[in-house]
Amino acid sequence: MYKKEKRSAWTAAAGVLALTLALTGCGSGSNNSNGNTGSKNNAVGGNASPAAEGEDNAPVTFSVFMSGPGQQPTGDNKILKLMKDKTGVSFNMEFLVGDLQQKLGVMIAGGDYPDIMSGDDKLINAKAYIPLEDLIEQYAPNLKKHYADVWNQIKDESDGHIYVLPSYGVYQGKITEPTYQGPGFWLQKKVLEEMGYPTPKTLDEYFDIIAKYKEKHPDAIGFESLNFDWRVFPLQNAPEHLSGHPNDGAVIVDNNVAQIFADKDISKTYYKKLNEINAQGLMDKEAFVQNYDQYLAKIASGKVVGMFDQHWNFQDGETSLISQGKIEDTYIGFPLLYPGYEEWYRDRGAVGTNRGFGISINAKDPVRIIKFWDQMITEDWQKIIQWGIEGEDYEVNADGSFYRTPEQRKNADQTSWQLANKITGMHGYMPKIQGTYSDGNAADPGTQPQEFFDSLKPYDQKILKAYNKKSWSEFFKEPKENHIYFPAYSIVLKDGSPAQLAQSKLNDLQVKYLPKAIMASPDEFESVWSDYVKQIHKLDIKAYEDRINEGIQQRIEKWSVK
Amino acid sequence: MSDAVLDKQVKKQKTRKRRVDPEIGVSLSWKTLKLQKQLIFMSVPIAIYLIIFNYVPIWGWIMAFQNYRPALSFGQQEWVGLQQFKFLFADDTFIMVLRNTIAMSFINLVLGTTTAIGLALLLNEIRVKYFKRIVQSISYLPHFLSWVIAAGIVATSLSIDDGIVNVILMKLHLIKEPIMWLSEGKYFWGIVGASNVWKEVGWGTIIYLAAITSIDPSLYEAASIDGAKRFQKMRYVTLPGIKATFVILLIMNIGHILDAGFELQYLLGNGLTIDYSQTIDIFVIKYGISMGNYSLATAAGIFKTIVSVILVFGANYTAKRLGEERLI
Repeated sequence: MYKKEKRSAWTAAAGVLALTLALTGCGSGSNNSNGNTGSKNNAVGGNASPAAEGEDNAPVTFSVFMSGPGQQPTGDNKILKLMKDKTGVSFNMEFLVGDLQQKLGVMIAGGDYPDIMSGDDKLINAKAYIPLEDLIEQYAPNLKKHYADVWNQIKDESDGHIYVLPSYGVYQGKITEPTYQGPGFWLQKKVLEEMGYPTPKTLDEYFDIIAKYKEKHPDAIGFESLNFDWRVFPLQNAPEHLSGHPNDGAVIVDNNVAQIFADKDISKTYYKKLNEINAQGLMDKEAFVQNYDQYLAKIASGKVVGMFDQHWNFQDGETSLISQGKIEDTYIGFPLLYPGYEEWYRDRGAVGTNRGFGISINAKDPVRIIKFWDQMITEDWQKIIQWGIEGEDYEVNADGSFYRTPEQRKNADQTSWQLANKITGMHGYMPKIQGTYSDGNAADPGTQPQEFFDSLKPYDQKILKAYNKKSWSEFFKEPKENHIYFPAYSIVLKDGSPAQLAQSKLNDLQVKYLPKAIMASPDEFESVWSDYVKQIHKLDIKAYEDRINEGIQQRIEKWSVK
Repeated sequence: MSDAVLDKQVKKQKTRKRRVDPEIGVSLSWKTLKLQKQLIFMSVPIAIYLIIFNYVPIWGWIMAFQNYRPALSFGQQEWVGLQQFKFLFADDTFIMVLRNTIAMSFINLVLGTTTAIGLALLLNEIRVKYFKRIVQSISYLPHFLSWVIAAGIVATSLSIDDGIVNVILMKLHLIKEPIMWLSEGKYFWGIVGASNVWKEVGWGTIIYLAAITSIDPSLYEAASIDGAKRFQKMRYVTLPGIKATFVILLIMNIGHILDAGFELQYLLGNGLTIDYSQTIDIFVIKYGISMGNYSLATAAGIFKTIVSVILVFGANYTAKRLGEERLI
């Protein structure tokens, strides 16, 4: 008896919630989003009887594992609360602590998977995810529509199933990208200001600026790098960009043929240069013995003049600078090139095929999860997740475009506010709309061009004006059309295969020899380098290159037809 | 109760042709089992615990002879014989990590034991209780830090940027400019040894202090009457008094000689010192678990276990031969 009463109470409650949902839905986006709300309700209602609809909103908690470090949102997080109120779904989030590979190894060894896991090749190899394509066909019309253009690409290369819903790289509308997250040679704004806003184009010009600045400010750290754990790209990736290649990882691809570049001249030239600047005292001596936290701490100290890195990798340090009010210590990236090469730093963010969320084989209720994500990909929810609540987190002006008040911008910059009002951590892995919504607004405040410029501090606006630009990404050339196979680094190497072993050993050699070569005295550089190249050639590099080339050919074949 | 009584019993039992455990001096019979049933009963849970957690997992060793893939069932696994072991011993890296492991373990063993005994001896001589307690607390507190934090402290102290070690050495005019301790392989073992001493010395001391307190005070009195000075008392009374404890601990620690540790080396190591910092455990993580090659990880684990068992028995046998206390 008691149970039955409880159930009916729930149904009633759910009904009320559904009503509120419908009402708020109509209230908030009256001009443009009625259609979407409608289709969302249909999607859920169509598959379920009215009684079952109550169950659809029954409270449920899913465990989620995310493969990156992050902070737990606060218990009363606004967005999570809204999700729970409207869909009944809440989450038990686990962010990565410590080493990812180790954590994954333990998860796989024990078969101990949470309901939802961020995408990872290793988990795919271990068959830890369930295939999603049937679930999407059956329960998730919105997701189906969202991924329609890249449907072939997001299938797993080995067996053609979709295991992971990519979080990034699926665009709609227009692509606006005022901030730049990719690789570049970065320089502090105050340095540029002091040097009279130069635009370095070659390594020589770049290090010249650093040398001149350091002469006047001996306390500054000239050039910084990082050689820690899996974050080795600040040290390893520069040569491919300097020679006009996009970021394909450890290989460069010319005419659809991939080869490693670690032992090539484009690498030697770069590391020889670093060796020279090390001798001049421009290189941070501790660069190669520090861990990621120390690296971020150095950047957050504002002493580092420049480095080569991907923006997202050092952004936490920059965020700290901003919150300390040291806006002039933040960075602008430059696309340096060897003479005679054409720039290709910015790329058109390929779909991150195995980066996003998948549902594990242990998941209690995959249908519920996919239905939840299907709801989340609707424009209404996307606006809530990416922009916030209208009137609280952003405003709409007369012509319908979104903007934020200075107060709202200030809030959004604060970590503590974010933890209570955004789900930044989890959102990074969720399927999301990028580009623009059907009403022409950009997907999030950061990509709304006017909002972006207005949100900049006066100092930043001054710098941009001095360079006669409107956004940071304008320092880089518009990206060329991606090659079909791009990026080669996402080609899966089988666990335990010779290719994987070769890649791992190559990485070990780089981790060991590059710092040695850079820190050697200039007359010893040649001998260290030739030793390094000799060691590389002892490895089964061919197995690695063959596997990548095979992957490239497969992609050209499978992805070309849409 | 004297030896005479026990001897008599033993003799009697021998005539009855009962099996007698020479160590305990009690016959192993159903009757004694029955007499000690409470004891037996209490040890059953422990035995079950050991069987479940220490013996059942040995089944997993079978992976070392397969090309194990997690998703497949037992019947579907591919059998590869000794291939994983061959890979291990043919691999230059493995030989190198073996060397590092043994070297660091040896350093830890020697430094750890001598400093712990030394501190215990010194603390024992302190008569001011309050001071003694403070020293003891301070010295064992680092034991409760995780290695992650400890490694952070070590790295910070060794930093060239105002790290305390460099600052002190500079102030003492021992070095002209800061040394980058973590960038040279040749310093690495020493750093690991010193860090271990710093973190564990207080903890190791406790057991020796306990052993010292159990030494009969009349021995000290007798030594005093014979005219022994402080250091002579340490040398001739205290040290022999804790010899048994020392030998037992040594035998136990020798069993762990291939466990040089993982966290500290993993957290302090970097590309420049990799030739000296990588231990077996790190190797297993990198080439085994990280690459999904659980078979290789298992093979390395088996290797470690076998070596440890051999070492423990060897040490135990040597101790027996030398007429010392022993473990088994």
